[in-house]
Amino acid sequence: MAVDTMIVLPGDEVPQDALPTPTGKKKQLTLGPGLRHIPPSTVASTIVGALVTDDKKVAAWIESNSGRYLPTAGDLVIATVQTSTAEAFNCTLTPHTPYATLPHLAFEGATKKTRPQLAPNSLVYARVVTATKDFAPELTCVDPSTGKSEGLGPIKGGMVFKISLGMARRMLAGSKGGVVLLEALGEKLGFEIAVGRNGAVVVDGGKVKSTLAIGKAIQEVDEQALGEKAQKKLAERVLKSV
Amino acid sequence: MPQEAQISVNERAFIQDALKEQLRLDGRAFDAFRPLELTFGDEYGVADVQLGKTRVIARISVDVTTPLPERKFDGVFQIITEFSPMASPAFEVGRPTNAEVVLSRILEKAIRRSNALDTESLCIIAGLKCFALRADVHVIDHDGGLIDASCIAVMAALQHFRRPDVLVEGEKATVLSIRERDPIPLSILHQPLCVTFSYFEEGELFLVDSNLAEEQVRDGEVIITMNRHGEVCQIAKYGGAPVEPYALFNLTSLALQKVKEMSKFIQERLDEDAKRRNAGGLLAELSAENDRPFDRPVG
Repeated sequence: MAVDTMIVLPGDEVPQDALPTPTGKKKQLTLGPGLRHIPPSTVASTIVGALVTDDKKVAAWIESNSGRYLPTAGDLVIATVQTSTAEAFNCTLTPHTPYATLPHLAFEGATKKTRPQLAPNSLVYARVVTATKDFAPELTCVDPSTGKSEGLGPIKGGMVFKISLGMARRMLAGSKGGVVLLEALGEKLGFEIAVGRNGAVVVDGGKVKSTLAIGKAIQEVDEQALGEKAQKKLAERVLKSV
Repeated sequence: MPQEAQISVNERAFIQDALKEQLRLDGRAFDAFRPLELTFGDEYGVADVQLGKTRVIARISVDVTTPLPERKFDGVFQIITEFSPMASPAFEVGRPTNAEVVLSRILEKAIRRSNALDTESLCIIAGLKCFALRADVHVIDHDGGLIDASCIAVMAALQHFRRPDVLVEGEKATVLSIRERDPIPLSILHQPLCVTFSYFEEGELFLVDSNLAEEQVRDGEVIITMNRHGEVCQIAKYGGAPVEPYALFNLTSLALQKVKEMSKFIQERLDEDAKRRNAGGLLAELSAENDRPFDRPVG
């Protein structure tokens, strides 16, 4: 995240000097979610949030904590299986939205004879392949180039904790997201975690107590917007309690 | 009928495992309520209850109508529940969910049919004119425990409400506005409150004030309505698993303790609100002095 954040409101014009200047090979400025180009040279925001720029990619977008998840191709999500049809599972990414399809053959090593049997309401860690507004989003649990699962697939055990979409993005962004809590906890505690862009985290710490403690710590970081120092303090407290 | 999205298999198993280890998701004790918050609006008869993340607003309004022909000496009292789609995507306007039907039925039994409100006091002229009292219950945010929160909201709003005074001369009744005569509090005979117990593991385990996730996992629920004097107004049990009669005795005594705490809390908040409304006391009311601006006007 940029050090000096600029907060914009819908309709605000983003000044030229706040945006990265195209240099070298990449000549074009890429506008991400929340920014709109008004020809000839005005860039305005369409949502409220913090302006984030990436000089290397010559890109700018608005980071905001929006309400409902909208599927985008490439996102990692935690999907809930609702029903199974002849060829695919119907899953939901957020409750009360149209189904996303997860083909039976989109699992590692799945053939027509050995396809996975998933009960209704079981969880799957999947990647969004296509997401268009006229068609149901499609999910997959394999990497199409290698045919391996790469950590995706049905989730067994653990507990789901709801987090905000901004927090999910931060957790998936690695060091750029500024979430150091998990590393601090991981020094002493062993646990598995799956972060879905649709605002859900599945934590499995082996024991009920540690799962709960980790999940609640994540939610606390989210709700109170804790910085790195506060996260480390929180991690110490959690480690002591477990 | 629209339904709440079902909880995943993993969550269900986890919650049950945690309960076996005597743990609840939010770290509460089994017999503890979530933090309760109650605020009153600027108008009389508006109560806003927050129970954890659940939020319910109750509003009392009054109208003058003719009484029902078979109940000439009684006023009319109605409780109307409305689940706003804002509270949960499962709620739709005009299509009540199961929870909404159960809520309105329980409130009807707990408050209206237990005669919490003296409807005879709403009568103006027998057979001709009476007050029609209406309690609107709006669910603003839903995270379980709707029945308990709604009951608190309605009872607090009823105790907070003031109806306009009436002047009766023969067969002519005049409703006096707040400016003409101080409005009158309703005559409330007792204050019933609901405590919902969710039971798990075939009635082995009871939870007080479960949140939405726990509600979706439970085997069933027992709703006990009683007032702080220990009089049980109604007991309702939903869900299939059996409950031992002896367990019900334990639940009623636990409910009484909770109801006493809640009644005390409501009374405290009512007193605070009364104090806030009556800032200067009688002296301020008698004073003829107008509010004066602190700054001396320029020129």
